[in-house]
Order: sequence, then structure tokens, then C-alpha cells
Amino acid sequence: MLGRGLKRKLSDYEENMAGLSSAFDSSRNLPYPLKRQLVLNMCLTKLQTYKMLVEPNLHRSVLIANTVRQIQEEMRQESSQQPINVCPGITPSSHSYTGMESSGISLQLPSGISQQESNYDQPKQDLKGAECVFGSFEISNSTSYLKDLAIDDIFEDIDTSMYDSDFCCPPLMPPRPPSLICRTDLSELDHIMEILVGS
Amino acid sequence: MQDVLWCFSQVKGTIDIGVTEADIISTVEFNHTGELLATGDKGGRVVIFQREQESKNQPHRRGEYNVYSTFQSHEPEFDYLKSLEIEEKINKIRWLPQQNAAYFLLSTNDKTVKLWKVSERDKRPEGYNLKDEDGRLRDPSMITMLRVPVLRPMDLMVEATPRRVFANAHTYHINSISVNSDYETYMSADDLRINLWNFEITNQSFNIVDIKPANMEELTEVITAAEFHPHHCNTFVYSSSKGTIRLCDMRTSALCDRHAKFFEEPEDPSNRSFFSEIISSISDVKFSHSGRYIMTRDYLTVKVWDLNMENRPIETYQVHDYLRSKLCSLYENDCIFDKFECVWNGSDSVIMTGSYNNFFRMFDRNTKRDVTLEASRENSKPRAILKPRKVCVGGKRRKDEISVDSLDFSKKILHTAWHPSENIIAVAATNNLYIFQDKVN
Repeated sequence: MLGRGLKRKLSDYEENMAGLSSAFDSSRNLPYPLKRQLVLNMCLTKLQTYKMLVEPNLHRSVLIANTVRQIQEEMRQESSQQPINVCPGITPSSHSYTGMESSGISLQLPSGISQQESNYDQPKQDLKGAECVFGSFEISNSTSYLKDLAIDDIFEDIDTSMYDSDFCCPPLMPPRPPSLICRTDLSELDHIMEILVGS
Repeated sequence: MQDVLWCFSQVKGTIDIGVTEADIISTVEFNHTGELLATGDKGGRVVIFQREQESKNQPHRRGEYNVYSTFQSHEPEFDYLKSLEIEEKINKIRWLPQQNAAYFLLSTNDKTVKLWKVSERDKRPEGYNLKDEDGRLRDPSMITMLRVPVLRPMDLMVEATPRRVFANAHTYHINSISVNSDYETYMSADDLRINLWNFEITNQSFNIVDIKPANMEELTEVITAAEFHPHHCNTFVYSSSKGTIRLCDMRTSALCDRHAKFFEEPEDPSNRSFFSEIISSISDVKFSHSGRYIMTRDYLTVKVWDLNMENRPIETYQVHDYLRSKLCSLYENDCIFDKFECVWNGSDSVIMTGSYNNFFRMFDRNTKRDVTLEASRENSKPRAILKPRKVCVGGKRRKDEISVDSLDFSKKILHTAWHPSENIIAVAATNNLYIFQDKVN
């Protein structure tokens, strides 16, 4: 269902990401927060890509979501000076990453996410199976740090107009429960399947 | 193992530059005697090779493997309810021990397990009374004599017939199947559940492990591999995406939610990175033939665990540690999710696993020596001894070494197999199957 124009832009994006990731690997001087941001962006991109698939790979989705959760927990601890237990079952622990440096760089990041936050209030739909990326990263509405994420930067040149009608929310969002993004009809079919197979 | 010199024996598959996706080999498995070698591919086909009888005239050929049977095991399916296609790719093949003249194997794709019977026919009956050789019925009133039909030789025909189809028991993708030592049951494992089957019963299975959370949004761990103990039919292990292994005893309860043993190594804080969890995900778990050890493969290492020690492995082998500094690039191109398998040799003294650039590695547990070999057409002269390969990590690259940046990450060896008793190995490199043997003195 991807338009031809979208595909071209994605491959440019992929080239950029390949360059960035080899910079990550080879440079010792990249500041830790920047490295962390890069990894977070890559994770979110992958998860967004999986959401476009009818049946994303559950194993990969779990691993990537766990990585996102870890990074966000660390960022949260840094910004609030106090661990917030957002995701039940996740114990905030202090990670010591190698090469961790104090964030002397203030990231200039655009906002522009606020108008989407009203969509958080939509009721969650009961989803099962691997048809949608399960929601492993729950974010409360009050996290203002979301505005600091540079997600918009990497999605700048991606045309998302075709997503607005298909999905409940455009996919340019920071992580949120997938129930808000996945197709309603698929979730209903899921529900029917659940009843049928009695799982 | 340092006395073993590995030589090229055979290679199966085409040399075409453009590889058809369907021809990519997705599983390799010797049967219990090593007489048969089965491969499954992405196109849902199974090809079985049989070792020819050794002849006194050509002792150096040491029994080559030739095609014995080829059949289409799985076809692509479309799940109309979920609007998605079910791949026909064969994820795993497991042989049953031979109990009569026929051979039996299990093959599975993402959703359905099938039991196949492979049998030979080299005789056919001739001389029926009531029908002629074409099968047309004779007029009974014209028959004046009776004769006894006799079996006459015919050209050998190998038939593969599906004897059982075990379907509709897995919501998630099947990653493992394992035949129990009782030869009456087997298990199939998907991302979240493990089911126990009886070979004779296809319309029901017992669910013995279920790690699906009530709320899928709380999911943080999936099952990655599972295997029965080779001798104790009540014991099995399963590995997870968090680098842990659980050993379960089916005698304790019907649903093995509580493990009998839990194997996990504490994380090394000096190696911590953003990708630590991803590279700790176990891609394969195998019991030793003795049943005393289990071997696990994660992205960078192979570990051997003693069943009696849960808090750390007894041996850790670095497969390609030079990739540790490339993890971000490997994450970006998804190579970090590649699932490498690992195998024991017949005496549990050597372990083998694959890597990139068509390299594969062997570790001798006794001598602690290891070797890197390559499966390539360049080294494919008959009985040519394989030359050890070396990856140059930094600094000056020697003549025969290859630098990390020159490695071809599209050439990955995920599937290998070791003959149960001899030094014969089968290595799957994309669409080619390489067979190597040790040098005959």
C-alpha cells in the first residue's frame, strides 16, 4: 500500500541511518545523549515500520520495545531526578553504560507533538496476537519531555498524508499503546479469533 | 580436534548469481544413524540425501550423499480471517528414530507440523487373477486357471506421504519442534506457548508452557527455542529472548509454568550497551548427546551449561566478538536479529556454529582450540583441505586475513548439522549445502 514516492524517500532515509549508525560505531567522541537519541530514533522507526506490516515479528518487536523502554526510563530518571514507575513490572535500575558522559549538549528540538496528545484519551482496544505491535511502552500524558524528542526531524521528508485516514492517529507519534494506532477491523477480527480458538 | 583436517566433500545447489528466494535452505538435519540428511527450504520443499554404500573400489569417496527424495512439504496458505499469508518456509525438520523399513520425519512451518513417511518401493505385484496388468477387470467367466501373484523387481521408487497433519494449535510462529525420547510424543514451541502432541492424535494437543501475559502490553519476553532431554522423557528446556533457559519437569504439573531450574548468567557491566538485551537473546538451545549439558547460542557467543549449575555457564566461546563494536550498524540493517544455530559433535567434545561471510566456527572443548572455516565455491575442489580463516580486527592486516569491514553480512551460515557419529558436517550457505569430511588417512 506504499506509494512510490514514499518508497523513494524511505530509501534515502535508510541511507542516512546507515551513515549515522556507522558513525555511532566508529566515533568515540559522539556524546552519550546523542548516541542514545540515535538508538531511540532507530528503535521507533523500526516499530513504526512494523506497524505497517500486517503481521510484525513478535520476537523483534519485543526486543526493540524493551530497548525503547530502557532508554526512556533512563531519560526519565535524568530529567525528573526521580524514578517514575510508569510501566508496571519494570523496576527502574541504574544502568552504567560504558562511555557515559554528562550531557553538556542541550538538544535543540522542535515541539509540535502537542496537538496529537488528545488522541491518548481514546479507549484502548483489547488486542492480542502479533498483528499489532503490543503496547510495551506506556507513556502517561503528563510527560513533557516528549516534546524534547527529535522524532520530527527524521520524519521530515516522509509524506504521511495517506496515513491520516487509515489509522486512528498518524504514525509520527512518540511511543504509545498500539491499540490507538492499529486498524479497528483487524482488532475486531482478532477478538473473534480469540473467541473461536478459545485462547 | 587439532588432528582433524576438514576437507571439502560435496556441494549441492546451483551456482547462479541470482538466488531464488525459495531455494534458500532454512534447516538441515541428519537422521539418527547419519545415513540420511534432510534439508528444508523457504519454498516449503524437503530434500533428503542418502549416503551411498562405501565401495572398496573408491575408498576415498567415503560414502557420498545423493538425492534420495524430494517433496513439497508445505504450501503457502492464506489466513482469510486475519488477512495474512502463512509462509511455506520450513522452519525445522526433526527425524524420528527408525523403527521399521520406512523413515519418518517431522517438518514444520510457522503454523503447521506434518509427519512424513518416506518409504521405498522396489517390487511390484504381477499376475493378478481378476485384473490384467493395466488394471482393467477381467471377465470372470473367461478365467480358467488361478495363479498366485508374484512380486517382481521394479526401479526403486521413493515415496513421501504425509501421515499426520498437526494444525491449528499455534497462534504465534513455531520456532522449534522436538521429538521425545519415548518416541510417542513431541513438542512444538512458538513465541509464547509450547504444546505437547501424541503422534497418533492430530486434533488435540496439551499446552505445557504458556508465557502469554493477560495483557499483551505487558509482554517483555518470548520463547526462542525448546528441546526435550535426550533420555528423560519428562524433562525439557526452553530458552528466551532475555538470555535465560528454563528446565521443566512435566511430572510436577500439567502446565509447566514453574520451572525446575532457571539458568541465567549475570550481566557483565563492562560490556553493557544499548544493545545488550538484544544480543543476549538466545537463538538456539541444544542438549548434549549425554544429556548432561546444554549449549546456547546468542548473537556473539556460544555457551555450555552444566545442568547442575544454574548461575553461570561452564564454558563461553566467542564466535565473532569483533562485531561488538559494530552493533549499531548491525542493528540498523537487522543483522543483529539473525538466528544462528549451534550443534554438538557425536562425542560432545566439539561444538560448531555459523557466522558471516560464509564462515563457520568450531570449538574443541577439551583442547580449547578453535578454528574458522569457510564454505565457498573457491574451496570446492574434491578432497581439498579447508584452510583456516582469520578476521583481522585492527592494525595491520596480514595477507590471508580479512578485515571486519570487508565481511559480507549477506552470506550468513545459520544452519549446520553434524553427523551423529562421524566427522561429517553439513553447512547451509544460502541456497547451497556444503558437506565436509575429515581427511581420510
